[in-house]
Amino acid sequence: MSHSITFTINGEITTLDIEARRSLADVIREDIGPTGTHLGCEHGVCGACTILLDGQPARACLMLAVQADNATITTIEGLADGDKMHPIQKAMHEAMSFQCAFCTPGFLMSAVALLEENPNPTTDEIREELSGNLCRCTGYQSIIDGVETAVRLMSRGES
Amino acid sequence: MAGSTQTSGLGFVGQSVKRVEDERFLIGKGQFVADVMPDGVLHAVFVRSPYPHATITSIDVSEAARHPGVARVFTGKALNEVTQPFVPLAPQPGSYTPIYHAMADEKARHIGDPVALVVAESRHIAEDAAELVVVDYDMLDGVGSIDRALATDAPQLWDRADGNTLSDATDTYGPVDEVFAAADRVVSITLDSHRQANQSMETRGTVVEVDGVTGLLTVHNTSQGPHVLKWAIAAQTVNQGRMKSLWGFVRNTSRRKAFFAAAKDFRKANKDDLKGQDNAGMKGQLKKDRSLLKYMGRMGLGLLATENFPTVTSVDIGGGFGAKGPIAREDIPVVVAAMSLGRSVQWIEDRVESLSDGGQAREERFHVDVAVNNDGTVKGLRVDALIDGGAYPAFPFGANLIGTLWKVYMPGPYHFEAFQLRSRIIATNKGRVVPYRGPWANETWMRERAIDAVAAELGMDPADLRSKNMMTQDNAPAAFITGPTIDETMSTRKTFDRALEMIDRDQLARDKADAEARNHRIGLGIASYHEAAPGPPNFADSISPGSGMLLKEDGRATIESDGRIVMYTSQVPHGQSHQTTYKQIVADEFGVAMEDVEVIWGNTDKSQFSFIGTGGSRGGPLGGGVMRATAREIRKQVDELAAEMLEADIEDVTIVDGNIHVSGTPAHGISYADVAAEAAKRASVTAGPVFDVDLKYEGVGNGGWSCATHVAIVDIDLDTGQVTIPRYLVVEDCGPIINPAIVDGQVRGGVAQGIGAVFYEKAFYDDDANLLTTTYMDYLIPTAMEIPEIEIEHLETLTEGENDFRGIGEGGMIGAPAALTNAVSDALGIQVTTQYLPPSTILELAGIITPD
Amino acid sequence: MTLLAELGDDAKILAGGQSLLPVMALRLGTPPHIIDIGGLTELADITASPDGVTIGATVRHRTAETSDDIARHAPLVAAALPHVGHRAIRTRGTVLGSIAHADPAAEMPAVCLATGATMVTRSIDGERQIAAADFFEGYLTTVLHDNEILTHVRFPAWSATAGAAVVEISRRHGDYALVGLACTVDVADGEITSAALSFLGVSGTPVRVTKAEQSLAGKPPDDAAFAAAADIVTATLEPGGDVHATANYRRHIAGVLTRRGLAEAAARTGVPA
Repeated sequence: MSHSITFTINGEITTLDIEARRSLADVIREDIGPTGTHLGCEHGVCGACTILLDGQPARACLMLAVQADNATITTIEGLADGDKMHPIQKAMHEAMSFQCAFCTPGFLMSAVALLEENPNPTTDEIREELSGNLCRCTGYQSIIDGVETAVRLMSRGES
Repeated sequence: MAGSTQTSGLGFVGQSVKRVEDERFLIGKGQFVADVMPDGVLHAVFVRSPYPHATITSIDVSEAARHPGVARVFTGKALNEVTQPFVPLAPQPGSYTPIYHAMADEKARHIGDPVALVVAESRHIAEDAAELVVVDYDMLDGVGSIDRALATDAPQLWDRADGNTLSDATDTYGPVDEVFAAADRVVSITLDSHRQANQSMETRGTVVEVDGVTGLLTVHNTSQGPHVLKWAIAAQTVNQGRMKSLWGFVRNTSRRKAFFAAAKDFRKANKDDLKGQDNAGMKGQLKKDRSLLKYMGRMGLGLLATENFPTVTSVDIGGGFGAKGPIAREDIPVVVAAMSLGRSVQWIEDRVESLSDGGQAREERFHVDVAVNNDGTVKGLRVDALIDGGAYPAFPFGANLIGTLWKVYMPGPYHFEAFQLRSRIIATNKGRVVPYRGPWANETWMRERAIDAVAAELGMDPADLRSKNMMTQDNAPAAFITGPTIDETMSTRKTFDRALEMIDRDQLARDKADAEARNHRIGLGIASYHEAAPGPPNFADSISPGSGMLLKEDGRATIESDGRIVMYTSQVPHGQSHQTTYKQIVADEFGVAMEDVEVIWGNTDKSQFSFIGTGGSRGGPLGGGVMRATAREIRKQVDELAAEMLEADIEDVTIVDGNIHVSGTPAHGISYADVAAEAAKRASVTAGPVFDVDLKYEGVGNGGWSCATHVAIVDIDLDTGQVTIPRYLVVEDCGPIINPAIVDGQVRGGVAQGIGAVFYEKAFYDDDANLLTTTYMDYLIPTAMEIPEIEIEHLETLTEGENDFRGIGEGGMIGAPAALTNAVSDALGIQVTTQYLPPSTILELAGIITPD
Repeated sequence: MTLLAELGDDAKILAGGQSLLPVMALRLGTPPHIIDIGGLTELADITASPDGVTIGATVRHRTAETSDDIARHAPLVAAALPHVGHRAIRTRGTVLGSIAHADPAAEMPAVCLATGATMVTRSIDGERQIAAADFFEGYLTTVLHDNEILTHVRFPAWSATAGAAVVEISRRHGDYALVGLACTVDVADGEITSAALSFLGVSGTPVRVTKAEQSLAGKPPDDAAFAAAADIVTATLEPGGDVHATANYRRHIAGVLTRRGLAEAAARTGVPA
């Protein structure tokens, strides 16, 4: 049975008819198009599928698309402002945070959510907040450095 | 050549240049295999055995096939009938490699063994239909451990094997019996490492596109070795009769000629290696199973007659660590499905499948004997090692690699006079063993653990025992007793001495005392090792005579008529940032900015053949080495023409920032575009390459050893058995570093996997081979809270050689389990003999609780 | 309600989905129908009154975590919330969803048991009020009928002289606990007047060790009393073993957590969480 849902994704309003059992992650990737939101486990542990739903971090694989009706969604593709990168993107590039980059979208969205709520986190707070995202390549240090770099960039008003 | 030494002065090599890859990754524009979604692609789902060991008595796919939205359902038998099996390419002496088709048809040999394939319009529908496939299984006893496999009444997984022992080889170096007899004592210890899953954040996958008109296949895949996959697909899906193949080959004059020419070239280039090859392995295999000849004949002839090979391509790969080197069994049936339906088909492995058969490793047991004198001088090493190889041998390499590398590495950096290794591969009803970041790594774990045990027995400090026995630059022999030569890059002792300098022993003693007051225990562990990255000239021969052929790389580059520099590589990056590091190397050689260089990889139509692709830390020394050599060759051509154009001597040609000029007169320079245009004019062409180079690069001969010492300090809470790591230090020497930040990232990633291995990750099979860790709720990958800050100290031993780049990729994982288990042993005052130390085990070892 | 009555066990309720969706993704459960109550605003409230704090079915963990009412009037709930998964899970998951799902390693069921909370349910047949002690039946099983929704949970009024603590041991940060303890202790005139020790991860349901609780009554809140209670706990509980921890380990940890939890709760008596 299909349902009609409408939501805003990366600033664009979209209306779709979709089957109830399809996850938000699958609908974003397959029906709408942006494939930056990655699926690493499909059972809510790895965090690679993290998006912002009404400004809060949520795992797109643990949501049915129908639950996103009337919501505002931001994915990694929605972070930059045209050509201008979001400070977190600039910072992660500066800090050489990633390697294979499969986990990257989830980390970026989690970091954005963290800094929105707490613009000046301690290293421990960053570590804890990011513990919901798995990375297999980096050992996490470079990612934490990236968030700390973002804190510096954002406090200097670079956005 | 003088021209070649005048480069840009921009000096990208050695700098932590920011990554080129980030441009697409940070904005979500990576192209991973699951992102390739051709219009109308069908989805493949495998029906898999829920039992570890069973005879398949019947399969009924009729209801599934009728389900709306299903394109077709294939039984395993039907798929196997139209494909060729996986065959051992280089059987080792003393081994038997089972030959098996991609699908299980008569027997299921592990949980997850694929028995049928459903292809449908969506994954949901395919999974719905998969539930409708009815399979009748007759359960057999599951073999869930090495002990069970070796029991006299154990069911046998493979009819032609010796029980469940697939391989049994012994290598002896030096007078082992005499050395053991003469030593003051022998210290013995049995060490067990547990099964781990080689996990990357992206699972495996394949999207097979079929061209509607030509029928040509483009296979998007996660393979670390796309050329091998291309050949395997072609060979295994070839379906013509023998005579038809032979006739087709004979009639195709150009193919026939090209084949014989290439064969002649290959023989000439690899004469010595081919002569050295030991055929005992092949003979042994044929004695047990002559079908190998039949299959190789079929596939060989089929390949010769094949006109159209698939194109295999991977743009971005989300990690591999070796698991994506062997071919996924599933790739072959998905190709067959696409070909028979005439439509694109995709299979993206899900995490449960990945934990079942995406690749496992490290389940090994070592019976270790160390002959040592009472003053602490180690004399001899004897090891009886067993590998739990799972059910199916990975193709083209997997468990069969491990013993061959062990025998070269095991004695490590110590002055052993004699060494003997017996290694066996045992078949069990578990997932396949694949290479996993330093497939041989447990030799370091085993050896460094044993060294500590010897120290304990003699009442010596483990650091002192190492100091006494570890080679120095001055007293190292010309070669290890296992064969490979030793040069100045063998700097393990340097890393060890430096590491000791960086430990404050007095502070440690104080910390230990403080810890005890709050019911904690603190311990220090050290581990030292070296790895061939890629190793000295005779390293490959020490593993297997004549295998040097596999280490050769081809270099290719062009400069196009518009001045663009294009470099081709056989390497297949999956996190190593090759795109950036290769541009660094090449930009320096050409004196240009990094943006002026293009690197092409990952597409079999464009990149050069490599048997191994990316793995074994080849990216830096071989991939990078061939980049540099190739760049220098083509630069010569540019210098020659530029010298003419500038009416100067070739030694005076300098290139800085893309400005080609006579040294001292930068205002009168020309550009690469100018030189290319002139070359085009002279060759009367208007487009295409105007300079090109095809280079045979002998990896062997350049670059040597990468060495490191790891130091771990652990803090154990004796109330809960939980372990934190207040300090982790790596002192490493991989020679000159192309990009320090990238190297650091590799080291930390490897150490993190080692921490995961010791404290969090175990692929649990019960005694009957039922898999208990099938999701990420049970298989625990460490998070940012579990991985501490890791200190890295770089030493950079340089040589006179032209290419000094040495690999660093595997190292972190080689040293970590040893350093950590040594630290736990020190903390608890006991000798740890297993590699998996969850809180329950820690408290058991500490005597606070008893096993259930 | 009507929908649920019609569909019975063919339907599952969806609020946060953080427990239901993994089950569906792994095909461990394939409900033909899902009833999404996310839009029911009448279930979105946290209400504080002299009788205690009531939480509605669609209140997310994250909302509860930042609620002053819960911090002040249900400090055991407040203490448990940071332990629930990771932030992205808490953003979507609901307090009552966790309770209805009844995973024995989850914090909320143990909190309900410790505080003697009341479950309020609604169906086409009317409303029920069920005591926490009667609500949890077994692994992932509660007394909820197929046609019933858990609409509210009422936590009783909090004693001004009580302290609350939730302590757990897990393999990794944010994992389900190997063993956890939701504990409260009430102290008057230097003596413990009452205590609750509600364990998670030791059985198919949360478990209170009443003998240990009773042993604390009348004693000063010191380590000797806590240690004695811990001994009773380890002698009483019979946890199971699995891939993460052995049974003996869990039993040992329950004792360790008893001492730690009671000490923490005692230190917080009379102080809001």
